[in-house]
Amino acid sequence: MSDDIKILVVDDEPVILKSCKRILDAEGYKADSASGGREGIITMEKNAYDFVITDLKMPEVDGLTLIKWLKKSRPDIGVIIITGYPSQETIKDAIELGIIDYVPKPFTPAVLIDVVKRAIEWKKKKVSDEVKKEEEFPPSMIAELDRMIKGYRNKPGSLIPVLQRVQEMVGYLPPIVQKRVSRGLNIPAAEVHSVVSFYSFFTMKPRGDHIIKVCLGTACYVKGIEEVLSKIKKGLHIEVGGITEDKRFSLEAVRCLGACGLAPVLVIDHDTYGAISPKKVTEILDAYQPVTK
Amino acid sequence: MPKYRASLMVCAGAGCEACGCIKIKNALIEELKKRALEKEIGVVLTGCMGPCQNAPIILVYPEKIFYQKVKLEDIPLLVEEHFLKGRPVERLMYQESETKIAVPVMGNIPFFKHQVLRVLRNKGMIDPEKIEEYIARDGYQATAQALLEMTPEEITKVVKDSEIRGRGGAGFPTGVKWESCAKMAADQKYMCCNGDEGDPGAFMDRALMESDPHAIIEGMIIGAKAIGSTKGYIYVRAEYPLAIHRLKIAIDQAYEAGLLGKNILDSGTDFDLEIYQGAGAFVCGESTALMFSIEGKRGMPRLTPPRSTEAGLWGKPTVLNNVETLACVPQIILKGADWFKSMGTEKSTGTKVFSLSGAINNAGLVEVPMGIPLRTIIYDIGGGVPGAKRGRKFKAVQMGGPSGGCIPESLIDTPVTYEDIEKTGAIMGSGGMVFMDNTTCMVDMAKFFLEFTTDESCGKCPPCRIGTKIMLDLLTAITGGRGKEGDIETLEELSHDIIDGSLCGLGQSAPNPVLTTIRYFRDEYESHIKDKWCKVGVCRNLCTFLINPEVCTGCGACMRACPSKAIIGEKKKPHKIIQEACVQCKSCYNTCKFNSIIIGPAQYKGEPVALVKS
Repeated sequence: MSDDIKILVVDDEPVILKSCKRILDAEGYKADSASGGREGIITMEKNAYDFVITDLKMPEVDGLTLIKWLKKSRPDIGVIIITGYPSQETIKDAIELGIIDYVPKPFTPAVLIDVVKRAIEWKKKKVSDEVKKEEEFPPSMIAELDRMIKGYRNKPGSLIPVLQRVQEMVGYLPPIVQKRVSRGLNIPAAEVHSVVSFYSFFTMKPRGDHIIKVCLGTACYVKGIEEVLSKIKKGLHIEVGGITEDKRFSLEAVRCLGACGLAPVLVIDHDTYGAISPKKVTEILDAYQPVTK
Repeated sequence: MPKYRASLMVCAGAGCEACGCIKIKNALIEELKKRALEKEIGVVLTGCMGPCQNAPIILVYPEKIFYQKVKLEDIPLLVEEHFLKGRPVERLMYQESETKIAVPVMGNIPFFKHQVLRVLRNKGMIDPEKIEEYIARDGYQATAQALLEMTPEEITKVVKDSEIRGRGGAGFPTGVKWESCAKMAADQKYMCCNGDEGDPGAFMDRALMESDPHAIIEGMIIGAKAIGSTKGYIYVRAEYPLAIHRLKIAIDQAYEAGLLGKNILDSGTDFDLEIYQGAGAFVCGESTALMFSIEGKRGMPRLTPPRSTEAGLWGKPTVLNNVETLACVPQIILKGADWFKSMGTEKSTGTKVFSLSGAINNAGLVEVPMGIPLRTIIYDIGGGVPGAKRGRKFKAVQMGGPSGGCIPESLIDTPVTYEDIEKTGAIMGSGGMVFMDNTTCMVDMAKFFLEFTTDESCGKCPPCRIGTKIMLDLLTAITGGRGKEGDIETLEELSHDIIDGSLCGLGQSAPNPVLTTIRYFRDEYESHIKDKWCKVGVCRNLCTFLINPEVCTGCGACMRACPSKAIIGEKKKPHKIIQEACVQCKSCYNTCKFNSIIIGPAQYKGEPVALVKS
């Protein structure tokens, strides 16, 4: 995990820079150093970082100025400050600008690592909270969902059909929606989730505008579907179960579509394509443009 | 209904639909209108006719002239020539593979000649979305007979006497199943149909549900009366949207005609039928798992007994029959047990539908009498393996999906019956036959099936959940060049442990593909492990591609096909592969028309000729 996290340390004291870099590198992070605010900005113009650890008191461009620049130009970078006087007063301005944490000077390697780890956790949570916010659905859709679920309430064995219809309406089954189903049908949320996670038809991830289903049945395998699949993966830069960055496609593998006479086969949305080859597949995909919303 | 001088049956099976048959139908109607023939010639969409490889397909009645691979641009010519001038178009007909002579009439085409149509009797004859057309072909007569003239015991007896065995794979006698459920006293019983056709390579049930949905409904009504059930479910997998669509239409029509619901045909029998759409879990083809799935739970098999016929869906006695089994029932009732037994062998009566796919010329759906030798299916009906000129030969046929096994060339004269197939180590299964030629690596194939079962194991029984994973790891190691002495024995041992330690059919049969490939292709496993050599060049770490200078003509085709530019050579002089640049993609092998590419063991440093001689 830690190997893809990049950290920039900014301080005017070479000793601190050196020791920070040594400690962080040893933990598996990728640490760079800059000897002042100006150097820090120049480095960040060139490279991408996840976190910046910066001193506040520096000649020329100081820590606060650097943080201001960061909040404006690189808002995604998390900021940690190093300070010799960890009192409310001294770091008040920095906190107001939005920092994650601070490291009191002098510090041991353990303290630095601890602060960095906490910062990583905090950022992760923030990102997932943001995702959750995106999952808010329009109230009209929720009302429609509730109405549909109510119609099934007293019917035994209705959980799977309900989930199928919900997925049809929403596109996927995130936790909030599962809770809605659980309340609506009066079935424990755990049971709803156990069914969602058991059947491959259900997905908890959002799907693309077009869904590519690649058949991994025996006949398709014998006829070379693997090559077609790897061509799609390479062309769209996604794995099975993934979604392209522009949300145009999601890629799914299915167990036999029952069109073995046409092997190898793939289905995009509701169109079946038979006897496909790696060559043909690019052409087929090109015909599916993103849905404009 | 208008009377037509000719009817055009456009196949709308899954294969043809994928090849644009709807557009073909619309173009036909358009063209007929243009020529003012629309009152003389009718166009009908029908269910799967079988030869999916040659989609899209049009069958012309009354002559039964068969057109295949029809393209949109062929339509004007076809209409003008055939229907205006009365000259059938030879170019669009099936042609003898050797003589290239066109065979106009469907019944004379080898693919159809050896078939006996009972279950598939309505294929290419009716529009599956019209109940009238089904009724016109004796449809629902058996229902009337069973409901109005027969007692439940009489129905069960006929079915039992026909000795029909479950077409889903295990081959349990249907009559016996009905009888044991009929004996149970309960306030509610269920009649269910298993349309969760999950075996990769099997599409018989899909085709049946799409082409003759009423036959299945009829079988269920008759079964319901026999066991005393008033409520039924058809469980169809979600991957078959067209089947669900047609079944829905059929059920609605049957309700409207008074063939479902309360007091069917004034007989006092009630039967309600519903479709239940699966959600993508292979294990739900297992009967207890399927019932849990209908109950809205995880589809995990349970310990039997009690059998489903004693305590099935919601704890009530339940009969679960396969799609094809149920589609046989109406005709057994109408024509009698002896008629049914007139085909097949003593222990495997009747006919069986198979789906042919993989390395075979005529992929598609066929129905043959039980007991027919595999050879007839492969060569006479299937038309053999494609690419014979390039040295492609039949190697094995996989039957029974991930629960089945691979039957080698040496056993090709095995009659297709439950018992004989079981003796080979494979199983009859639901009827999927996937053919493999000599470019298929059997170890890789075994790995493929293990990947499937590992993924689809529900996880309840540890021997299945963990055992299949360990077997898969071993096979991955062997195909990746990390095989060790003793791996084969470990695989065999694990197989038996998994078979003994699993509750349901999935686990008990999961090792079958490995066991049969070890049994018949042990030398391939050994050459993978000992010689680090995948002789067909499928396992990339275990092969070296070389050009035989004595055969290479220097045509340059391989050079153009090579994605990593690893082939060098001058025109008309033997080429050479630079091993350091080769990525073992096999493109050169697939491209070369002269069989000059040789596959050697991993890291082979010697001369290509030495390999040919050895």
